[in-house]
Order: sequence, then structure tokens, then C-alpha cells
Amino acid sequence: TSLEKLGKWERKNRIVYPPQLPGEPRRPAEIYHCRREIKYSKDKMWYLAKLIKGMSIDQALAQLEFNDKKGAKVIKEVLLEAQEMAVRNHNVEFKSNLYIAESLTGKGHYVKQIRYHGKGMFGIMKIVRCHYFVKLVEGPPPPPEPLKTGFDQAKEYVQQLRNRTITNTL
Amino acid sequence: NVESLLRPARAAPTCLLVPVRTKRRFSVPNWNREQSLEEKEKKLRTLKAVAPEEHVERTFYLACTAAIIDPYVPPEGDARLTSLSKEGLKQKVEKFKQSAVSQLALRKLKDHDPNFSTKTFPEKAQEIFTEAHNCLANFNKQKLHSLVTERCYSEMVRGNRYKTIRWSFVESLEPPRVVHVRCDSMVNRGNLYGQVTVRMHTRQTLAIYDRFGRLMYGGEQVPKDVLEYVVFERHLVNPYGTWRMHGKIVPEWAPPKDPIVKTVMIPGPTLNPSQEFEEIK
Repeated sequence: TSLEKLGKWERKNRIVYPPQLPGEPRRPAEIYHCRREIKYSKDKMWYLAKLIKGMSIDQALAQLEFNDKKGAKVIKEVLLEAQEMAVRNHNVEFKSNLYIAESLTGKGHYVKQIRYHGKGMFGIMKIVRCHYFVKLVEGPPPPPEPLKTGFDQAKEYVQQLRNRTITNTL
Repeated sequence: NVESLLRPARAAPTCLLVPVRTKRRFSVPNWNREQSLEEKEKKLRTLKAVAPEEHVERTFYLACTAAIIDPYVPPEGDARLTSLSKEGLKQKVEKFKQSAVSQLALRKLKDHDPNFSTKTFPEKAQEIFTEAHNCLANFNKQKLHSLVTERCYSEMVRGNRYKTIRWSFVESLEPPRVVHVRCDSMVNRGNLYGQVTVRMHTRQTLAIYDRFGRLMYGGEQVPKDVLEYVVFERHLVNPYGTWRMHGKIVPEWAPPKDPIVKTVMIPGPTLNPSQEFEEIK
């Protein structure tokens, strides 16, 4: 690994925290994993990444297994690899006790080629690749935020009105 | 010159230039197109045959042996019996004095290093032992290499890269003593390495924290009594050689170590969809 240039996401797995004092709450383990230069579009991959974000790892694997997209297979492999790494190298006790804190896509290297049309016309075709990044955190998944009701919004509006100060008065 | 219907005197159209479609087609040249890994490897292999690499002789230096020569078999119940009972006394009247091979090896050692003595060596050995473990806890690699042979270094350091280790030496319960001496040569006949086994009964504390600072093994305030047989080695022929820690001998009757804090899953047998786990058991 020292010969290839490591990306920022891979280096995040190398930070070592100092030992915790006995009174502190247990720090949850964080595992960063990524796969580079996947032959898929980053916009199409984004839909899958957004689907998974915030789910527990078992739920995410189940959803991806029955998804018809090409990127779903790739992301499933990445998640399984990351789970394996977590249990073996990063001292995670239970492999189901992980949830997906972040899942991102990035643009890979594009190659331009010519696509021949009729009548001597041509178009420039892009061979599109993407990267996929995932961060697993140990622990149960966080509960989803409650949706904002109209009543909450109204309350906030009234509070904003009340917060106004009129200058140069008592 | 008569104008007629069929040939009105209108301005004749100039020559109409019909452009012929001979546009140059662009294409990626063959030497620049995208190739898969296999094609790239093929090309490199063909180029290799044209310019073959010359075999450069490289010398290497053996600084330590690969294993412990004739490992010492510690007698059973070594630390359990006190020195007051009969059997304890028998062990105390060391078999080391009687074993011939050790005496021969000791004589060879003294030939190469006249300052060696079985009385002063164990103290130095214990110092080296404590220094080495302190270096391991502080990740002082340079000093660790000088105190510990290459074989022992790989065993000590494996798996520790992203972990924090805290080790401290509390006290020594019994004075260390030399128990076993061996001398052997590697590759050539005169290339001698000497190995000395030292028996140490000490009290130590060990705590290992993982990457996130959580305790993985042991405790910092929990001292443990440890009986160890540590092997030290030196390259005798080298005048600047030093005694370095080479390895440890773990007897079979040693008490089992503490279990680690986390639970580990042992994978069971792979089942067909129709089978149940209880049936196989």
C-alpha cells in the first residue's frame, strides 16, 4: 500500500485515538471504506447511496440485494468487505451492530471517445466512472428525525416574531 | 444569336461547387487507446524479452538464526513448588550443571567472549528484557531493533500498528538464572551463534487499547505473575555483536491466558437449505 498513493478516505482508517479513561463513555468504532473507478455514473450511483444512508447494515444489504440497478451489486460488495474489515482489523464485536453514517459518490477519471453518427457527424462520448465511499459506525442506527409539522413551523414563526427587538425603546 | 424560349439570355449560373464529403475521420491512435490490464501486461512482457534484466548478485547478512536451537523443555510444576520441599530442592540443584551439551556450548561461548559468566548475565538479560518492552510500548523502533533480533521483532510487533500498548514492570519475584545454553553455526561451519535461555519469574502489568482507545486486553492496575523462559542470542563471530532477545519458550503446562474483552464468532459448518444445525451435531 505504500507504493500506490493513498486517498484521503483510506487514510482516515489510520488515525489512532489515545486510550480512554475509565469514566468516559465508550467511543464508537468508525470504519472508512471506498472503492475507486467503478464503471457507473456518479449521478446514478447517488440514488443508491442516498437510499442506504442512515440504515443499519443488515437492512442496507437486504435493500441492495433486491434492487435492480447495476451499482447495487457493487455497493453490496463494498459493504460486505467493510464489515469483514471491521470485525477483523478494527475490533468491532458484533458485525450486525453497524450502521451507515455516511455514503458518498465521487467522480472518477473520464475518458473521451468518438461516437460516430451518420452523415459524417460525430459526438464526443464520455466513458464515465465513479468512486463510492462509505463510513460505518458501531452501534444501533440513530432514530430518524421526526418530520416537521405545520404546527411546529407556526410555533417557530411566532417565536421569531417575539424575538424581534425594537431599538431605542424601554 | 437569336434568343429563344429554350435559351433565355439570362446570366448563366456560375459553376456550382458541390463539396465532396471527404472529411478526415478522427480516431484514437492504436498506441494511445485504452487497454485493459491484460493487454498492458502482454506488451510489457514482449518488451522484457528484448532487454532482459541482468541478474545482480546481492549479498545478504544473517544477523540472527531463524528458530530456537534445541528448545529448553522446562520441568513440570516449575513455579508451583517452593524451594523448601524436597522436589523443589531437586529442581534447584540444577540439571543445567549436569547437562553436557550446555557445558560444551558454554565453553565455546567463553572462547569467543571471555567476559561472559552465568552469574552476571541474567541481570543484564533482565535489563534488556525491560528495555525492549518499554520500547515496544513507546514505538521506539530504532532502539528496539538494537535490543531484539529480527525474528523476535516481527513476532512482537505484528498486529500492533494501530494499537496502544501500556506495559510496566512491577518487580522480580525470583532472581533470574541461566537455564540452557546452545551454540550453533548457520550456512558456513565457523559462523557461530550462541543462544542462552534465562528463566524469569516476574510481576508485570499489561494493557492493550485498540484504535479507538477502548481496552482490549488486560488492565493497567492489575499486576500478573509471569514465569517466562526468554532466549537471548548473539552472533559470536562478530566482535561488535550484542546479546539480544530472540524469543520465548512457552511450556505446555503454562496456565491459560485471560480471555479478551470482546466476543468472537467461530463460524460453524456450512449448511444446505434443507439441513438444520441440530441434526448435524
